[in-house]
Parts: sequence; structure tokens; C-alpha cells
Amino acid sequence: MLGQLFVRECRQTAKSLIYWLIVLILIFDFTTQLGEMEIDEEPQPGQESYGYRQSEDPDIIMRSTLGQLTEEYVRENYTTYPIGFYKNVTLNEKDDARIGQILEETAGIAGRESAEQVREEWYAAQNGQDSADNMENMMYQEPLKVKPADGLTYEHFTELMDEADKILGGGSNYGKEYREKNAQVPMTYEDAVKEYGALIEEDRLTGGYARLFCDYMVIFLGILPVFLAVTRGLRDRRSMMQELIYTRKCSSLTVMVSRYLAMLVMLTLPVLILSLNPLLKCMSYAGKAGIAADTLAFVKYTFGWLFPTIMIVSALGMFLTELTDTAAAVLVQGAWWFIAVFGGVDRLSGGMYGWNPMPRHNTELNWQGFHDGFAQLAANRLFYMAAALLLVALTVFIYSQKRKGRLHIRGKILANRKSKS
Amino acid sequence: MERYWQIEKVNLKYHIPLHVLISVLLLLISPFLIGVANLGAQDTAKALEMYVALIGIVLLPPVFLPEQNHDIRDLIYTKYLNGTAIYLVRILGNILLMAVLLGLYIGMLAYHGCEFPAGKYFCGTLTEMLFLGGLGVFFYGLCDNLVIGYMAPIVYYIAAIGGGEKYMKMFYPFSMVRGSYGEKVWLAFGAVILVIGGVWLRCRRKRRLVR
Repeated sequence: MLGQLFVRECRQTAKSLIYWLIVLILIFDFTTQLGEMEIDEEPQPGQESYGYRQSEDPDIIMRSTLGQLTEEYVRENYTTYPIGFYKNVTLNEKDDARIGQILEETAGIAGRESAEQVREEWYAAQNGQDSADNMENMMYQEPLKVKPADGLTYEHFTELMDEADKILGGGSNYGKEYREKNAQVPMTYEDAVKEYGALIEEDRLTGGYARLFCDYMVIFLGILPVFLAVTRGLRDRRSMMQELIYTRKCSSLTVMVSRYLAMLVMLTLPVLILSLNPLLKCMSYAGKAGIAADTLAFVKYTFGWLFPTIMIVSALGMFLTELTDTAAAVLVQGAWWFIAVFGGVDRLSGGMYGWNPMPRHNTELNWQGFHDGFAQLAANRLFYMAAALLLVALTVFIYSQKRKGRLHIRGKILANRKSKS
Repeated sequence: MERYWQIEKVNLKYHIPLHVLISVLLLLISPFLIGVANLGAQDTAKALEMYVALIGIVLLPPVFLPEQNHDIRDLIYTKYLNGTAIYLVRILGNILLMAVLLGLYIGMLAYHGCEFPAGKYFCGTLTEMLFLGGLGVFFYGLCDNLVIGYMAPIVYYIAAIGGGEKYMKMFYPFSMVRGSYGEKVWLAFGAVILVIGGVWLRCRRKRRLVR
């Protein structure tokens, strides 16, 4: 029975307009973000830049953090993530003055004019006087580093930075969590070769690109399944078939699980098909370069990284639709998506996956970060899979109650109450 | 006129309160999510265009929802009053509500020391709200499906965040952040076409049903 219903549900989904709209959106997402993807070449000696890496040296952490503080003090605008969500903070006069004092105590820079001068001198020294005022060029220059004041200990530095973080409402670049992240240092040729080596040997080329593929696809897969789930949930009521289906022999578990499985399969299928494009590019490159690429990497990552997101979003959509008989799930999922996406903007480079339902890793490199954060990522994915299964179980319960004439929220409760009184 | 006011009263009493509540909640929780005090012009534009404008998606697309049930729709269409008039009254009422909420929010931003051209930002944000909502109205009218009505503006919004400026050009919704208002004229024009198109599609469906 489950198999028959599953096939029927798949057929229904394939005939649904919303499903094909979802497929079109996924193709659009893929084409715009990864359509022109090129495989990284091996780093060569003498390149202009090899990118950046994180340092653990206290002196570098202090220089980088003070550089950030000077930049933001000059801009009179501070970036914070108080609840993991991007927020710009502009201070009032009193707090601004205190930040000025902290900067003077930690870096010996007195006043905004001096800070601006330090900043200009830094960029001018890198690319000549003309480009110092060019804000666009600054993106490609080494971020500002500021020497700590003489005699400043690391302990006192952390105390003052904690105070600055408190003034900014928490989650700033000066709090404990973010301070070490500030210490970005340029990679040397050797660092770049090591990073590339990890892509070839540990990730076997395809692993890195599969992660990048997941990073782009997860943004849309973090919301699109809800549209399919809500449409499917409301279809019976729209076509006035709800009561008729309630009377069928088939158990509530079979009805709901077949729907859920059909949704998961039909949503995963286009993702797997789209992954063939980057896979073929990788295989072609690997063939020429003599790299033993992992052919199944995209499948593994699709199921390990994307599938739990599809599961939780679909399950939430099904649950809320069955509970309320409305499209409320779209708004709820929309709000969750908004918080999750903006909450993850500071974690794009990978390695810090946290509990975000849409974990990001916006680079084919950083295998080390992926490796270090793997336990957290696995816990994250397993948690959302378990939560999805729980929501499906609750949906089955609500559906079975409705079949028994209970839990009808849309007008039926009132109607029942009136008829009983 | 009395008749139209009655339509709006029913809309305010039964159809839109939940959506207004969601919109108000969205605005009330904003200080916990985004900066709303002492912002410069650019950051204020970001808050308005990327956050506040989202209430356009909540408030405008559900204008066809009360007649979602075909039985109710058939009943309504037997009445003397044209369905187009009902929809237009609801749309205008909801636009007014959006404008009031936006006005209050902009007043709150100004009160908290944000420096920005209030009139320009009000018009620019309202235009974006209308375009987002208009997309919803159009696709709802086209497909007779509220979910698609929500899906269209949400996908448009996500696409715009994900580097959509390159593809959307004059229909890019977050242009005020970089001080450009030309796009807003296009968005306003697009919003009018989408809303009219959506209502026309809905009413065309009605005629087909009546026959």
C-alpha cells in the first residue's frame, strides 16, 4: 500500500505546477551561481596573492582587532551579530567617546582624525597615494593592522575589548568569539600549496566542489520545499476531497509517510541531476591532471548536507499546514529562512556550522575547517533529521485525529460548540 | 461610497487582522534583529529595503483569499456588485495600512536619531512593498494559488539578495542603499501593472466560472 501511494504521490507531484516552478528556480540558482564555475589551478610561485588564513598569534590578534576597531571608529559604524544576526550599530556621543578612549589606551591613537590618518597611511603604503581614497580598491588590499600601545598586555587588551563589545551590545568583532577571527594573515606560497594539496588529496577534488555546490543550493532549498508541502497539504481541501480520503481504509501513517517520502524524492532528484554538471567538470579536470577524484562525492554531500534541510523544511510545512489548514507555514518558514541566512553571513568561509539549518561553506577550499567542524556539522544534520521525523510523527497524529472528527480548526470547533450548546 | 466602505470594514474586521498582526510583530521585533538607532542614510535604507518592505508580501497577496473557496466565490459572483470593485477596495485599503505602518516605522527611526531623507525613503520603500505585494497578487491571480502568490515575491527577494543586481537591473529592489532612485520608478510602474494584471486575471477566471 505504501509503495502504491508513494508512486501515486510522485506522479501527482510531477504534474504539479509548483513543483516545476521549484525546479526552474533551482536551475536558475545553479546557473547564476555555479554556471561559470572553473576548477582551481595549482598555485604557482610568485603570484600576487594567495588569499588569507587565520592566525593564533596574540600579537597578530591584537594588531588585527585594533585595525578593525580603528576602521569602524573612523566609519562611526560598527558591525555586530548580537543573536547571530547582522546588525549595524551607531553609537551615541557618550559611548562613542568611550570607544575613542579605549582605542587611545590600546593603540595610542587619540581622536578620529588621528585614526583616519593611520588608516590612510596604511592603504597608501600598500598601493601608492592615488588608491588610498579608492574604497573599491580597499577590498583587494590587506586589512588594516594597528600596532598595540607600548606596554599593553594581552590580558588588559582582552578586558578593554570585552568592554567595547559590551558597549556595542555584544556580538561585535571585539568579543571573545570573534577576536581570533580578526587575525587574518596573508597566505604564503607554501600555505597555498598546502591548502590546494588538501583539496586534491583529502577532498579528491570533487569533495571541495560538492561542498561549494551544497553552499549555493542550500540557500534556496532552505525555503522552496515548504511551498510544495503547503500546496500538497491544502490540495485535498481545495478539491474538497479531504473527507473522502478520511474514510479510506489506508492508515494515517501510510498516507502521510507516502506524501512525505514522495516530496523528499521529487525534491532531491533535480538537485542530483544538477550536480552532474560540476561533477563532469571536476572529472574532466581530474582526468587531465591525473587526480583520483571521488565520483560519488556529490551524491554523498547531497544526502549528507542538503537532504536534512529538505527534510526539516518539508516536515515543518506539512506539520503547520495540517495543523492550521492555512498557508501559515510559508510565513513561518520565510521568517526562519531570513534569520538563518542573515545569521550565517559571518560564517561563509566554512568550519563554523553551528545549529544553522542552512550550513554554509562558500569555498571549495578550507578542507581543514570542514574537518575541524565535522562533528558539529554531523550533529547539526542529525538533529534536523530527527526534528523532521518528529514533526512528521506529529503530522500523522494530527491527521489521524482529524479523521476521527477532532482538531478541525477552520470554523469547525466553533460550529461544534454551537451545536452542542 | 457607503458600499465600498462596508467592503473595507468587512476586510478590516474579518480578513486582514491576522496579516496586520504578523506585520506589526515583524516591525516590533526588528530592534532585536537589525540596528534601528543612530543610523546613517545608507544603513537606514538597508533596514527599510531589506526588512520593512517584507510586510508588502504579508499584506497584499491575500486580497483574493476570502474567495479561495469555490463555493463562496460562486456565491459572491452572483451578487450585483462587480468583483473587481471588491478586490480594488481591499487592495487600496491594504496599501493604506502598509503606508500607515511604514510611516510609523519611519517616525520611530527618526525619533531614534537616524539621519535620512524621510520623504524619499518613505516613497522608495512603499514602492518596493507594492512591487513585492504586486508580484504576489499577479501570481495569485494567474495560478489561483496563494502559495504561488507568496512564492513569487519571496523568490524575487532571495534572488535580489544573492547578487540579483546583475540580472534585475532596473527592477533591483535595494537601490536606495546606494543612493539610486531610478529603479523605484520602474518598480512603481511594474507594481501598478502587476496589481491590475492580477485583478484582471482573477476576474477573467470569474467570468469563465460564471459561464
